[in-house]
Amino acid sequence: MLSINNLHANIEGKKILNGINLEVGTGEVHAIMGPNGSGKSTLASVLAGRDNYEVTEGSITYRDQDLMEMDPEIRAREGVFLAFQYPVEIPGVTNMYLLKAAINAVKKHRGLDELDAREFLKLIKEKAAMVEMKQEFLYRSVNEGFSGGEKKRNEILQMALLEPYLSILDETDSGLDIDALKIVAKGVNLIRSQERSMILVTHYQRLLDYIVPDYVHVLAGGKIIRSGGKELALELEEKGYGWIDELAAA
Amino acid sequence: MTNIIDHYVDQHIADTAHNSEVMPAWLVQQKQSAIEQFKSCGFPTLRDEDWRYTSLKSVVSKFFEVKVTETTASVDLEPFLLEDLDCYRLVFIDGRFSLQDSTMPQSVEGCDISALGSMSLIELEQAPPALTKGGTVSNGFSALNVAFSKDGYVVQIADQTQLDKPIEILFVSASDNVAAQPRSIVQMGRFAEAVLIERHVSVQGLTALSNSTCQIELNENSKLDFYLVESMDSAATQIHSLDAELAKNSTLSCRTLTLGGGLVRNNLKVSLNGEGAHCDMFGLYNTAGKQHVDNHTNVIHAAPHCTSNELYKGVLDQRSRAVFHGRINVEQDAQKTDAIQTNNNLLLSANAEIDTKPQLEIYADDVKCAHGATVGQIDEASLFYLRTRGIAEADARSLLTFAFVNDVMERVDIEALKDSVSAELAAKLIDEKVDLRSEA
Ligand SMILES: Nc1ncnc2c1ncn2[C@@H]1O[C@H](COP(=O)(O)OP(=O)(O)O)[C@@H](O)[C@H]1O
Ligand SMILES: [Mg+2]
Repeated sequence: MLSINNLHANIEGKKILNGINLEVGTGEVHAIMGPNGSGKSTLASVLAGRDNYEVTEGSITYRDQDLMEMDPEIRAREGVFLAFQYPVEIPGVTNMYLLKAAINAVKKHRGLDELDAREFLKLIKEKAAMVEMKQEFLYRSVNEGFSGGEKKRNEILQMALLEPYLSILDETDSGLDIDALKIVAKGVNLIRSQERSMILVTHYQRLLDYIVPDYVHVLAGGKIIRSGGKELALELEEKGYGWIDELAAA
Repeated sequence: MTNIIDHYVDQHIADTAHNSEVMPAWLVQQKQSAIEQFKSCGFPTLRDEDWRYTSLKSVVSKFFEVKVTETTASVDLEPFLLEDLDCYRLVFIDGRFSLQDSTMPQSVEGCDISALGSMSLIELEQAPPALTKGGTVSNGFSALNVAFSKDGYVVQIADQTQLDKPIEILFVSASDNVAAQPRSIVQMGRFAEAVLIERHVSVQGLTALSNSTCQIELNENSKLDFYLVESMDSAATQIHSLDAELAKNSTLSCRTLTLGGGLVRNNLKVSLNGEGAHCDMFGLYNTAGKQHVDNHTNVIHAAPHCTSNELYKGVLDQRSRAVFHGRINVEQDAQKTDAIQTNNNLLLSANAEIDTKPQLEIYADDVKCAHGATVGQIDEASLFYLRTRGIAEADARSLLTFAFVNDVMERVDIEALKDSVSAELAAKLIDEKVDLRSEA
């Protein structure tokens, strides 16, 4: 699905990613953990195609294509989805409009018929029910005045609608109470399948109680310093992020 | 070669010789003093504080012809009509009323809608005071308008009367090098209600000047929704002056939507003269190419407990320029005034330029007065967010541009009008992109 080789990236001349190597197989769920500022969001943004990062070295292959060659919208249509750590508010654009434009852009790209208003409405109501989002949120401006939890749920709604091959969830669990966390996990588990892969960026291990990963990686100083199975998350939780500093220093 | 002042003075002499018999003496007198005033003040220049950001060189250097006779050019109106707009319609071609193109209300009780140029001497004698008093002459353009105007719409709505449909007034510039000078009057009786839409268009490529004025009087508890929609070709110049006087508890809602015109100057002056009067002023301007759009607004709070709410939004592309000058006067007696003024601008190009200037003159102490202006670009984070949802960059940009003007568009309560303005804006944004590509 995804192969990241020796990825280096800068922002405003500052080195953030220092040689990331990561293989994500089809159907796998990978968790990436690490302290604040270690480069998790940077990695997520580079994968989604944010252009203020300068990739200085390395390559990213996604479903046998060079990901770096694609514009963000093409990546999205090809099945890459990023759930943002901080989803933006877009006053004046309704959620409904965005969701419909997004699903139809994907369908068109894949040579499928676009959804008409009725078909779309049926689908979106179904998905909104799944993430327990009240319908009034569909008619509001994108994320405007949403609480932190509502914004995250809106990201999951978009993911559920677009059914991406590769989902990257950037700290979707941060700031959520346990009920909201369960809803997010439910959404993720619903689209989890043999054909889809996921990268869960998280700061805490508790998300992984609900979404059990196949692999866990520890990112520190822009590098993956340790990889393992789901038990690595528990170890990390126990020993704390101070342990990582020791690992990184070693 | 004569200078530009003499050019108009000479035309005025010819005009008077031709038309003075069909005018009441007071009107001849009014026009005479207006041309005298023009002779002494001429056109505004950059040295005038109220015109310092708007160069009139291109207008002042052209010797526009002011039509002395009644002939109207023949023009295909089809492209200018809004099919879905259910309304009464008055069409003016080069500033002269065209009955054959108009749809007048047939004997609607309490509504007197006519064209100034079709009024008999007797009717003129009974015209609203806004006409007989002589109008407000505040600069060279309004002086020229009074001096040359022969036509315009006159709408009088009687007390307690509500007009059943909007009145659309379509001003079409259809002749090259002609200056249209329509002068219009609206008189709203007590508790009267009406919706009025002025649309200004011009035939493509014509160098035309439209110099129009409109005087509005709202009596107690009356309500007027006024739309000014400017969609002229970029070769045309538009000077528009609206002057409104509001009595107790009356409400004026103005929407000024400017998409076309090479040089556009809108003067909007609203006097809140009676307690509890309210005025909304919403504006939208989208400029591209070398367009220059100048909105000059002035709200005068002259009575207590009046409210005014002003929001203008601008989208500027390429080498275009826009000016927003918003003045709020709060007079000594106008306690409990509540006035808000906001001007937000979105620059789509590094070469576009906006001058925004609030001006508050407050002489009362117990008032709420807020103002704010912003100038920004498309938000990169929002753009990226939309793209990661599969939306193409160009579409995402236009979506964000529409989102930016949304709170003004929402104030356009007439669906057909909203649709046409949206379509015009969308087409313009696409054109701008095409131009950009061909420039690259
Ligand atoms: N726009 C930016 N300009 C400068 N530095 C940035 C910018 N964005 C992120 N950084 C820096 O890059 C580093 C990694 O940030 P980030 O990827 O957000 O970390 P994480 O998501 O792991 O908390 C941090 O030191 C942060 O300060
Ligand atoms: Mg982060």
